[in-house]
Amino acid sequence: MAVTDKETPPSPLGPEVESDVFDKVRETSVGRSIWRAPRRVTPRDRAASHWASFALHIYPVKMKRKEIAFRYSWYLGVISTVLLGSLVLSGLYLMFFYVPSPNQAYSNVQTLQTEVAFGQYVRNVHRWSAHLMVLAVVAHMTRVFYRGAYKAPREFNWVIGVVLLMLTLLMSFTGYLLPWDQLAYWAITVGTEMAAYVPFVGDSTREMMLGGPIVGASTLLRFYVLHVAVLPLMIVSILMIHLWRWRKDSMLEVERNEPDA
Amino acid sequence: MPEPKPPTAEADMPTTSGETPVELSPTPTVIRGKRVLGVVPGKPVAGERKEPADDDMVMVWPHLLVRHAVATLATMLVVLIIAMLFDAPLRDVANPTLTPNPEKAPWYFAALQELLAHFHPLVAGVLIPGAIIVGLIALPYIDRSTYLQPKHRKVATTAFTAFIIIWLILTIVGFAFRGPNWGWVWPWEEWHGEL
Repeated sequence: MAVTDKETPPSPLGPEVESDVFDKVRETSVGRSIWRAPRRVTPRDRAASHWASFALHIYPVKMKRKEIAFRYSWYLGVISTVLLGSLVLSGLYLMFFYVPSPNQAYSNVQTLQTEVAFGQYVRNVHRWSAHLMVLAVVAHMTRVFYRGAYKAPREFNWVIGVVLLMLTLLMSFTGYLLPWDQLAYWAITVGTEMAAYVPFVGDSTREMMLGGPIVGASTLLRFYVLHVAVLPLMIVSILMIHLWRWRKDSMLEVERNEPDA
Repeated sequence: MPEPKPPTAEADMPTTSGETPVELSPTPTVIRGKRVLGVVPGKPVAGERKEPADDDMVMVWPHLLVRHAVATLATMLVVLIIAMLFDAPLRDVANPTLTPNPEKAPWYFAALQELLAHFHPLVAGVLIPGAIIVGLIALPYIDRSTYLQPKHRKVATTAFTAFIIIWLILTIVGFAFRGPNWGWVWPWEEWHGEL
């Protein structure tokens, strides 16, 4: 019944643990300087290395089992964030081939579709990701409502989420003008006419948005700057606050009142 | 359950009350250079096996992160397939002198545009959207009940569901059922929706 005792070289993780090459790299002094918590043996080690990881810092270390299931959130927040990432990447590519001026915008888009490598395809990805993101954000909000996930202590994260929904709509709306075709031009004309109904400040608000009485060159430039700089910066920074609060709030106990839950 | 008595002799160690004593082999059992000195009675070190409960805490890596990775890949797959199947629309170049009929806002404003056809612009263009935004922001401060399940918060659920359904109908009508001069068209006869 005795097991043959073979002398094995001592593992850096302790005598009982097999360590692979990656573990050994993590244990070197350089590895320690990068990973801070190199051991990955016990749950405590894994929690420590999670906590020390930049890539994982937007996540809590542990969550309730039911909260990570598909049926809890349908992962709609993740889906919205992935679509935002898809929009940033495809949008960066489109920016290389686009000049926001009425004389060039439309022909730029035509050139993009016919001559640029993967131009049509990247434009399709950008367009459909944008529509899907509006749907995903609205679905996320609806799911959070029915789950009751906006209740104390998470009220303010719901408010941040409403702001993110508004920013998503504005992102989509400002991007809608950029192809400078009939569809874009008249959709923005109708959309901005709604702003003019606000009493007293409506007309001046609309003129500030358009940079003139009708949709024109300055409108295109303003919408472009909003679309590629101002709104993305706002949406990403506010999304960071949204995620930060999600992580912090995931550790809080929700005050609940479930007689037959 | 009997009080566990402190071990008095070495012979007591490997036995459990009511069981036959474990027979130790004369040669020591060695596992990885360690001699096994005894067998401890009682529960296994990892505790009793049980079905994991919903409220149990689990490590985010890997349990949540693999799920998020799958959700990410599935989303990207859907986008990439849609982008292969359908081209983004590009109509004629913008012409400020040629107004199309109907003039349509982007689809997510179709409900507002539909409301404008029925109410005074101040109501449809300002009061209703303003009330929606303020209402959404104020929702968690108005609804202070601590019930989470929809069946225990009927007022909030009913109001929200009614709002979603009305908004959905208005969006679909404004997007697909409206033609020239905002008149009613059947989408299978004339199509005017634009993405």
